[in-house]
Amino acid sequence: MLVAPAVLIIVGLRLWPLVLGVNFSFTGDGDRDGVMVGLDNYVTLFADPLFRTALRNVGLLVLLLPVAVAIPGLLATFIYLRVPGHRVYRGVYFFPAVLSPVIVGAIFTLLLAFDGPLNGVLGGLGIGPVDWLGDPGVAFFVVVAVHVWATFGMALVVFLAGFATLDQSLLDAARVDGASFAQTVRHVIVPSLRRTIQFVVVTTMIGMLTSMFGLLYVMTSGGPEGSTYLPEYYIWIQQGRLNQPALASAASTALFGIMLVVGLAQIAILRRAAGEED
Amino acid sequence: MKQRTLLSAALVVGLTLTAGCGSASGPDSTTGGSGDKLVVWDWKSGDAKAAAYVEKAKADFAKKHPGVAVEFVAQPFDQYYTLLGAAIQAGKGPDVVLFNGGGQIRDRAGALAPLDSYVADDRQRLAGWDAFTKDGKVYAAPVTLQGHPVYYNKDLYQKAGLDPDSPPRTWDDFVRNCGVITQKTGAKCLAQGNKEGYGIQFFLSATGSAVLTPQEYDDWIAGKRDWSLANVKRIFELWKQTADSGLNTDGANSTAMFNDAFALFNSGKAANVIGLMSDVGHWKDFAEFLTPEKLGVMRAPVVNPAAKPSLPFDGGIGYAVAKWTEDPKLAADLVRSLTSADALKAFYADGGAIASDSTIDVSSGGPAVKAIVTEVKEGKPALHVALSSKTLDLMGRLSQQLLSGSATVDDAVAQLAASDKTG
Repeated sequence: MLVAPAVLIIVGLRLWPLVLGVNFSFTGDGDRDGVMVGLDNYVTLFADPLFRTALRNVGLLVLLLPVAVAIPGLLATFIYLRVPGHRVYRGVYFFPAVLSPVIVGAIFTLLLAFDGPLNGVLGGLGIGPVDWLGDPGVAFFVVVAVHVWATFGMALVVFLAGFATLDQSLLDAARVDGASFAQTVRHVIVPSLRRTIQFVVVTTMIGMLTSMFGLLYVMTSGGPEGSTYLPEYYIWIQQGRLNQPALASAASTALFGIMLVVGLAQIAILRRAAGEED
Repeated sequence: MKQRTLLSAALVVGLTLTAGCGSASGPDSTTGGSGDKLVVWDWKSGDAKAAAYVEKAKADFAKKHPGVAVEFVAQPFDQYYTLLGAAIQAGKGPDVVLFNGGGQIRDRAGALAPLDSYVADDRQRLAGWDAFTKDGKVYAAPVTLQGHPVYYNKDLYQKAGLDPDSPPRTWDDFVRNCGVITQKTGAKCLAQGNKEGYGIQFFLSATGSAVLTPQEYDDWIAGKRDWSLANVKRIFELWKQTADSGLNTDGANSTAMFNDAFALFNSGKAANVIGLMSDVGHWKDFAEFLTPEKLGVMRAPVVNPAAKPSLPFDGGIGYAVAKWTEDPKLAADLVRSLTSADALKAFYADGGAIASDSTIDVSSGGPAVKAIVTEVKEGKPALHVALSSKTLDLMGRLSQQLLSGSATVDDAVAQLAASDKTG
């Protein structure tokens, strides 16, 4: 009886819509609205080069994850080691984390425009202009870089919290032994912060998979040539622009499957981290 | 553009909050549909420029149905069709709905009531019905006309030593003049924005009548589209040529048509632009920057001697009646009020639109708007409006590939033919 409200909320507001969505993905669009069409939507989906690009980009995000984790980790290390002005940096690094993706996207769209300031500076240095958001080989990486810039402040704070638990005597010992900076990071800091790093990996991955939409929408609209599509964006286009809700449901179900795999993998990582505690 | 994005983001947040309130206090306030109240969805009524129009339309309707309240719900345009899609899925929502002509309304005609019997008296007075017609039935009454005139900056033509009052008549002259302008003034030929894939839509429609023969053009509009025709291919070759021979402004694939490309034209960085007739990027916007005297409108320069260039235009936006409304006749009467002569006149004067009502006097609007209204009489529906949103989406991506050189014209046209066939 006591758990009934919680169960009802989960079933009514979470599971039931999920089942409806999956069910909907087996029906047709347009003239075939409401008709069961089996796996047709999924066939269409995986034959669509655009959806495959979206999946490839998810793969790219996973590959870029180490970079997205290393940047706040390294900067936190500098702040922890008290480089000159570290207090200022701490504030400055965190600042973008409070900006909405729409604002960040608008700012960088201006900065990265073909006739924008960045290309102006490059031109001054004698380097030809780069169409940052108009070149399909470059645009996705630019958007990811902006996303990392906008969100690494949060991970930085988590790292700094992790450093607070670091045993200062280990660092002193390393210094006495004459370890270089790189050796200190590799043999002292990384092993001591293992759990913090794992936590940041998980939260950064979630962030990249779930909150890039605003940036994509403002900066590239999925282009150029569809090269910056992510599954979320694909779902939105199919539902909102092309009026194909059933196909969008199929894409949502596929995205749910991907998130499930990623989520389970993350739980496994966290379990292993907890296991190593003993 | 940035400002609009921010604004619409703020609107979405606001709407999400109010939508929550609406359903908590009872569905009537947002879904309407009861006998004594009509709910209208649009993306215009929140705009100060449309205030007089909405007032006039409301007054007209109140005269006919004094007991019926009308509520306008302005949605952010970026989210409009997403929100409408949700309403259609639910089978309830607004009684009267604003639509863009062409694919947007045809794809959703199943959720709308045919208006033929209600609007018969307006058929002569208003133009642009085709864009709101599917399978011979009319689903919305046109408010504005939307089309793609080629605007040019007379000042730049003059500075380059060209006669600003006799614009080029053939494509070769057009390109040659552009060369002179770029050499003398540094301005590019064509302000181009293809970030969202709109550039190709404007280009296809603006140049189409100068490339296709009248027969080929009419067949295309009638749905008998033959993508293998040499002239169809020619249009996409010209598109590629605008990039290859440097006619376009730089970075076309990362420049938004709305409104970055228009801003390039306004600031004199390009001599020509394919613009719109209504809403934004039109005669009134450009004339504010360039002054009305310096803004010219030219017919599409002839590419194929057998072609007969004409102004491409369609019904731009129009009001439709949802299928689920209780009293379609009542809702249709509201649509008629929204397209009454007085209301449309206010829309033209304040909003800067070419209204669907051909009886409105535009003589005070400057030479460009006069030229456009004259061309409307011989104009034809625009080529891109006849395509489905799916094909337009594909064409947007292919057009970016053509500009960057990663696709060939043959390949692009073949893919478009396949997409057009499957709908």
